[in-house]
Amino acid sequence: MSTRSLGTWRWQRIVGNTFPLLLVLSVVVLWAGLTLEGAEETLSEFTLLAVMVPTMVDTGGNLGAILSSRLSTRFHLGTTELDPRDPVLWANVAAVFGLALSVFTALALGTFLLGQVLGTELTLGQLLLISLSSGMSVAVIAVVFSFATTYASYRLGVDPDDTTIPIVTNVVDVFGMVIFVTVSTTVVG
Amino acid sequence: MSVRRDAWAIYRESLPVLLIALCGGLFAGLVLEELVEAVEEYPGLLVMVPVFLATRGNVYGALGGRIASGLHQGLIEPQFHPSPRLLNAVLASFVNGIGVSVLIGVITWVALVALPGWSPASLVVLVAIMFVAGTLTSVVMIVGLLSLVFAGFRYGYDPDNLVGPIVTTLGDVFGMTFLVFSVWLVGLVV
Repeated sequence: MSTRSLGTWRWQRIVGNTFPLLLVLSVVVLWAGLTLEGAEETLSEFTLLAVMVPTMVDTGGNLGAILSSRLSTRFHLGTTELDPRDPVLWANVAAVFGLALSVFTALALGTFLLGQVLGTELTLGQLLLISLSSGMSVAVIAVVFSFATTYASYRLGVDPDDTTIPIVTNVVDVFGMVIFVTVSTTVVG
Repeated sequence: MSVRRDAWAIYRESLPVLLIALCGGLFAGLVLEELVEAVEEYPGLLVMVPVFLATRGNVYGALGGRIASGLHQGLIEPQFHPSPRLLNAVLASFVNGIGVSVLIGVITWVALVALPGWSPASLVVLVAIMFVAGTLTSVVMIVGLLSLVFAGFRYGYDPDNLVGPIVTTLGDVFGMTFLVFSVWLVGLVV
C-alpha cells in the first residue's frame, strides 16, 4: 500500500490535523488547572476532595466520548442526519443521563468508604450533594457539546474522530473542574 | 418503547466499563491526594494535573475513536499485525502524546510567570516532569488501549463503548502513577 492511498491514516496528516487542536485545548484546560491550584487550601484541609477530582474530571468526558463516538461512527456509516425525530438519538441521551446518575452516586459512596479508612469530617450527605450536583450539571454540558461538535465537524467536513472527542472531553473537563471546585468550596465552606 | 429498550441496552453495555473507570479514578484520586503534599515544593504541579490527564484523553481518545471507526469499516484488523494504517495511527499518537506533554510544561510555566500572584518552579523542572511522565504513559496507553479494544471487538463488544472508559481508566491510573514517579525522579536529579 503506498503512503498516498493511506489518505487520512498518514501519520503526518493525523498529527497535522490534531496537534494544533491539542495545543489550543491544553491552553483551555489550563484554566481548570489554575482553578485546582487555586483551591489548594481547601484540598489540603479536606484531602478527601482530592480523591474525587480525577473521576469528576473524567466521567463527564467519558459520557461525552461514549455519545460522540457513537454519533461519529453513525456519520461514517451514513446512518444519521441528526434528525430530532430519530429515536436512537434520544435513546443515547437517556442512557447518558442514567449512566451519570449511577456513576456519580457510586463516586460519592466510594469516596465516603475511602474516607472511613483515611479519616474525614465530610458526611455522606455532603459527598452526595457535591458529586451529584456537579456531576449532573456536567452531564448536561457533555450532551450539548457532543451534539454540537459532531454536527459542526460533519458540516465543516472535518473527520469527527479527530475533533469531536477532544473538544467534548476538554470543555467538559474545564466545566467539571470549575463546577466541582465551586460546589465543594460552597458545601464545605 | 424502542427508545427505552435501546437506552437500556446502551446503559447496560456502558455501565460496567464506567464503574471500572470509577475504580481507576478513585485510585488516581488517592495518588493525587499524596501529590498535593509535593505541590508546595513544585508550584505549578497542580496546574498541570488536569491538563496532563485531559491530554491522555485527547490523544488516545482520538486514537481509540479512529481504531473503532476503522474496525467498523473493516479498514483494520483487530490484531497487532503491522499494517500501514495501524502503524501510522500509533506513530501519530506517540508524536502527539509526547509533544503535547512537553508543551504543557512550557505553557504552564509561561502562564504562571505571566499571571500576577503565582511563582512557578523552574521551566526545566516542569518540562522534565512532563516529558518523563508523558513518555512512560504513551507506551502503556497505546499497548493497553489496542489490546483491550481488539480483545473487546473479537468478543463482540462495540469498540465505541469501550474506548472512552478504557482511555480514561488507563490514563488516570498510569498517568497519575507515572506523574508521581516522574516528580520523584526529577527530585533525585535536581
